Amino acid sequence: MKDPAGETETNDLVLEYELDAPPAKVWRAVSIPAFREQWLPDGALADATPLPSPGDGEIRYRLRDDEPPFLESVVTFQVRPNADGGSTLRIIHAPPAPRLALAMPAANDDMPCLMRAA
Amino acid sequence: MVENDIFKALADPTRRAIFEKLAAGPMNASTLRSGLDISQPAMSQHLAVLRNAGLVREEREGRFMNYEVDPDGLALIARWLAKYRAYWPARIDALKALLKDMDQ
Repeated sequence: MKDPAGETETNDLVLEYELDAPPAKVWRAVSIPAFREQWLPDGALADATPLPSPGDGEIRYRLRDDEPPFLESVVTFQVRPNADGGSTLRIIHAPPAPRLALAMPAANDDMPCLMRAA
Repeated sequence: MVENDIFKALADPTRRAIFEKLAAGPMNASTLRSGLDISQPAMSQHLAVLRNAGLVREEREGRFMNYEVDPDGLALIARWLAKYRAYWPARIDALKALLKDMDQ
């Protein structure tokens, strides 16, 4: 396992793995529900349907913590070919709710009190 | 829902910068502002959000308020990260086992 960036400046957890299997096969394992369920069970997901895909070779799921307060977070899997005929799987796991908070106006002089939205 | 508040509070880049600056040690609001392009009311508001999320605590020192990182809040973030740092390697082991079983 490589850990290229650790926590990035956005607090994302980024992990990278080299796999022997070719990208097409890894892609099936991460995207076809019957396969995905065998290593990333439905119970770990808030929704078994992936979020709209950000790009080729990328798939995104909403995760839900298995303990209170059952925080939801977003994980992105990126599948790329590596030099050995296998695949590099990159996991980008964003901590709970940052997207939601980013959608709120940032505190500044003109907007005195808009932090109530959840 | 403390963890939720924590991650929302830190999703704002300015607040993240404030929080990171405070990690160096306790300081008052004006020291905290120096080097950051941010007005005093905005700073107060950011500090209030960080305080309500349990990330920062304040202590009065004479006329001034000193701010510092709240270790409890920091521990919650560390716990979330530690949990998933251990979680993903286990999932990847299961993925590798599956890939061996799959055709081609």
